[in-house]
Amino acid sequence: MSGVRIQRFLGLLRAFARNRGAVLGMAIIAAVVIVALAAPLMFNYSPLRIVGRPEQWPFTSWRFPLGTDSLGRDVAAMVVYGARTTLMIGIVASLTATVIGVTVGAVAAYFGGWVDEVLTRITELFQTIPNIIFIMSVVAILGQRMENITIAIGLIMWPQIARLTRAEFMSLRDREFVQACKTMGMGNFRIMAGEILPNALPSVIVLASLVVASAILFEAAVAFLGLGDPNVASWGALIGDGRSLIRTSWYICAIPGFAIMLTVLALNLVGDGLNDALNPRLRDR
Amino acid sequence: MQPLLDVRELEVKLFTRSGTVTAIDRLSFTVEEKETVALVGESGCGKSMTALAIMGLLPSPPARLTGGEVLLQGRDLARLGDSAMQKVRGRQISMIFQDPMSSLNPVMTIGAQLSEILRRHMGLTGASARKRAIELLAQVRIPDPQRRYDAYPHELSGGMNQRVVIAMAIACEPKLLIADEPTTALDVTIQSQILKLLRDLQLAYGMGIIFITHDLGVVAEMADRAVVMYAGRKIEEAPIDPLFEQPLHPYTRGLIGSTPAAEGRHSRLAEIPGSVPSLRDLPAGCAFSNRCPSVFAACHSERPPLIRPAPERAAACLLVQP
Repeated sequence: MSGVRIQRFLGLLRAFARNRGAVLGMAIIAAVVIVALAAPLMFNYSPLRIVGRPEQWPFTSWRFPLGTDSLGRDVAAMVVYGARTTLMIGIVASLTATVIGVTVGAVAAYFGGWVDEVLTRITELFQTIPNIIFIMSVVAILGQRMENITIAIGLIMWPQIARLTRAEFMSLRDREFVQACKTMGMGNFRIMAGEILPNALPSVIVLASLVVASAILFEAAVAFLGLGDPNVASWGALIGDGRSLIRTSWYICAIPGFAIMLTVLALNLVGDGLNDALNPRLRDR
Repeated sequence: MQPLLDVRELEVKLFTRSGTVTAIDRLSFTVEEKETVALVGESGCGKSMTALAIMGLLPSPPARLTGGEVLLQGRDLARLGDSAMQKVRGRQISMIFQDPMSSLNPVMTIGAQLSEILRRHMGLTGASARKRAIELLAQVRIPDPQRRYDAYPHELSGGMNQRVVIAMAIACEPKLLIADEPTTALDVTIQSQILKLLRDLQLAYGMGIIFITHDLGVVAEMADRAVVMYAGRKIEEAPIDPLFEQPLHPYTRGLIGSTPAAEGRHSRLAEIPGSVPSLRDLPAGCAFSNRCPSVFAACHSERPPLIRPAPERAAACLLVQP
């Protein structure tokens, strides 16, 4: 039994690895994850502590390889700790959006009729709200805390997942195997979660990986506008802090900006690779 | 003795935006234990709708059961609630569909799908479910069932998949099996293997079979009795031999005439002109009157009642004398 399973998993890996970009993306993300996990080992002090003279340029001192910011905080420490925040926000927000989106989309498509009508209208309502304004309002009302920002991003990202899930469920719902499951006496929840969802999952996973990337960008935008969590180091916050010095000490914005760009690019590459590997229409059987 | 399944005056209506039509018009028939009853007719005559009505799975909206009883060993399934009906499905009645490729979940192994039913309805767990699943696969004559257990549907042929579907249908030893055109999507050689398999399983388990088909060749091979349907109505019912020797309804004669015979008849096949009328605008009187070769004046105004000219036979045609 397990032999067959392992073989199939290796086949999936091969399909993924055929896409060079995806492997590169995976490597970058792995590096970011390792750095994030190892942050306390690399810097045993809080990244928000003032440790030296402000505005030291990168590569000018051994102590601060990436320089210091306008307050004299270690940019390298902030980037490394910021990786934790950024990844956490990206993953949790994407997970929130996926759970809400899949639930709404699945229920809407499976039951159809007025249930679909109502849920689709709600989805469309959320889509008409300008994203960044919604996030800023939520953060302004609930307070500038990491949890609030994450939830706000999750709340604004779910409609696209709901729409994809709904479309997938619509086409799967009328397939004969669903009818067959009903004739075997399975309940609605069982059919939705156990039978249809596994069929829809590949496309949802691909989209969810792209939502992680967008969530990271949203966090950066919110922090840049000064609405980030002041008690947590994040890449967006660092850019925000450096924006007043962009003419003189542009490295303060550029370094975290480069980190964001690299991570988002990597996530998109991985999304492409997952699409190639998981999408049965593209995969050779 | 009470029959295994007794469908009485079953009526299904479709409530659509452009009006209400009757999809099944007071259909009655019975199925005994170990008996195979064929539901015969062209596409759109209400065969599959009948099957879904028995299963309690009518697509609603637009379809709704508006009358009649479905008695399984005396218990009326039409009055049963959703959760009670769920226990009947799969356990007492199960169903096989036309296209085996699409009636299996493409992302689950056939073993997983088979043991899921065993766990659900038979209370088996882990290793014993797997063992029984492999037994069932062997029983439907799948070679090397140990290895096939971990195969996905796309790794098997259509005939193999239909065997898996049959294994799933008989997993709980149902009393009644509804087979909705189970061989239409298969090659002719595979077709006869599957039919033989179904007959053997019927002998082994003693279940009643409702066999839905438009292929009279298959009817002759499989069924004990046939119910011929047209536009939602039963128009003829007879045991197989008299049906082929002496069909009463012109429509049945037409169906038999349009079936190629085995012993190389080189004449052109007879056809029934026209097609099944839309349920929305059925002709007044007899629904078949606009295609019938023996039509006469009264057919256009008078709806033929179902009469029983002989024991076990019934036909709805004005030409049939009681």
